[in-house]
Amino acid sequence: MSSFLNLITANTRKEFIELKRYFPNTLSMIFTFYFIFLAMLLGIHAIGDPSQAEMNIQYAIVSYVFWFLTLMALQDVGYVIMLEATRGTLEQLYMSPKGMWKILLSRFIGNLFLYSVILTFLLFLSMLTAGQWLNLKPTIVVPLLLITLVSIVGAGYMIAGLCVIFKQIQSFLQILQFILMGLVFVPLSVAPFLVAAPFVKGVDMIRHVMIENYTWLDFAWTDYAILIGNSVVYLLIGLFIYLKCEKIAMERGLLNQY
Amino acid sequence: MEREAVVEVKNIHKQYKKRKSKEIVKAVDGVSFNVYKGEILGLLGPNGAGKTTTIKTICGLLKANDGEVFINGVDVRKERLKALQYISAVLEGNRNLYWRLTARENLEYFAGNRGHSRKSVQEKIDKLLHQFHLKDKENEIVSNLSRGMQQKLAIAVALLADSEVLLLDEPTLGLDVETSYEVREILKDIVKENGKTIIISTHDMPVVQDLCERTVIINKGKVVADENVENLIKLFETSAYSFTLGTPLSEKQIQMLDETIPIYEYIDDELHVTMEQEDDLYKVMDILKSDATSIEKIDRATVDFEQVFLTLIKDGEEDVVVS
Repeated sequence: MSSFLNLITANTRKEFIELKRYFPNTLSMIFTFYFIFLAMLLGIHAIGDPSQAEMNIQYAIVSYVFWFLTLMALQDVGYVIMLEATRGTLEQLYMSPKGMWKILLSRFIGNLFLYSVILTFLLFLSMLTAGQWLNLKPTIVVPLLLITLVSIVGAGYMIAGLCVIFKQIQSFLQILQFILMGLVFVPLSVAPFLVAAPFVKGVDMIRHVMIENYTWLDFAWTDYAILIGNSVVYLLIGLFIYLKCEKIAMERGLLNQY
Repeated sequence: MEREAVVEVKNIHKQYKKRKSKEIVKAVDGVSFNVYKGEILGLLGPNGAGKTTTIKTICGLLKANDGEVFINGVDVRKERLKALQYISAVLEGNRNLYWRLTARENLEYFAGNRGHSRKSVQEKIDKLLHQFHLKDKENEIVSNLSRGMQQKLAIAVALLADSEVLLLDEPTLGLDVETSYEVREILKDIVKENGKTIIISTHDMPVVQDLCERTVIINKGKVVADENVENLIKLFETSAYSFTLGTPLSEKQIQMLDETIPIYEYIDDELHVTMEQEDDLYKVMDILKSDATSIEKIDRATVDFEQVFLTLIKDGEEDVVVS
């Protein structure tokens, strides 16, 4: 267990160092998100129905944060594998006796942790600037978010598997942002079949908490069962697909090909 | 006493299908050899001979169609991650590093990826930075280091794993003479001090001659020689002669040499002959006698390792195997 923690620490530290080293890039990202949150907090008042303004803001921000987190986690893993293959470090990572799937998991955790900290800080800063406070309810939202993130990691493994074999999937990764937008922004009440998709149930439950003040007791046990089941199933399927793709890449000698 | 084999490569076969022509290419065709504890083994072969395929199969980065590889008795095919505890590698030299991280950050990151805490490896990192003369560059971003320093850092990263077997693919490629010498000396020290087993894949003959006790030469996916470097040179020295001629050879004599002696060279009245059979020397003498060519001197030829390698590669094409 301690060696897995060391793996997470090493990968989180590396991500943090790279965020520091590419400081202008990081700074522009921080400013972009700050202004987007600010625009959402202030602008939705101006363009929406004033009686629905608060609900619109909550809905837009929750959906946007989720869209960004999923996009960052899923696109990042794809780009990371392409980048590592191009620069020659991918095979070196595969030389770790811990296994590449654990290195990828530690990168997901490191990335999600760093970006969650940045987004939370920016959200608070924007709320402070706009003078409008969202109903965040961290005691319920954080546990729900953590369970939801498990399914995102599962989807990430699927993308990582594809990337290990095909490498050049930039076009797919670009289309992915629109697919994710659809999954995150469309409410389950409009498209109930999306419950089978990864993380949609979790986003929907968090929206209920933030917009309709749901508590733990307001959800049915089936909601929790679907949320947990969805996350576990996607994690297992994602890991299975990734390990299968890794085996194929090793059989065909595709690991360092780009 | 029988030596302990740390790496056992047993009859590995690997073939690929070409994407367009669907033609089957045999990259490795029944390669077998052992590497013993504390030994530096040179893996030699021309481009496309199957060296990289062999190395990647040893590391478990490539799955062979057939055959087995054992590291410390662990089957790489079946228990890859367990086997990786005993092996570390520098596969693409300086490209194995993160160029935006500093030298120390690279060492810390790769140690972390093997499950070590940052704190636990600090002493070892300091020792390696000293040993590789990189201490004053520890906080320099890798992209700012020279090629030689990057190469040394890549080897240091592999050594930090403290694994029993170290696999180096072209460790001196692109290095200047001084850095190449420095890397060789460091590798010698590592074997002497820590008893590590090293496999070096290279085209650099002086590196093999200087570092390796034994060499495995691969050509067209097959092992054409598995022998002690000194023995290989001696073997070729005893069968090679230089004749200094007083008169030039006639067309007829050259034709006779072509028909009788497979490996010979005739430049400026100097005839260099490599004997494959004991009576080849008498055959050469008969050919020279046939046109009354005067012989001023006969010497046993000095052979360097490059000549040995080239001869073996040529022989390999005719399926002659030295072992």
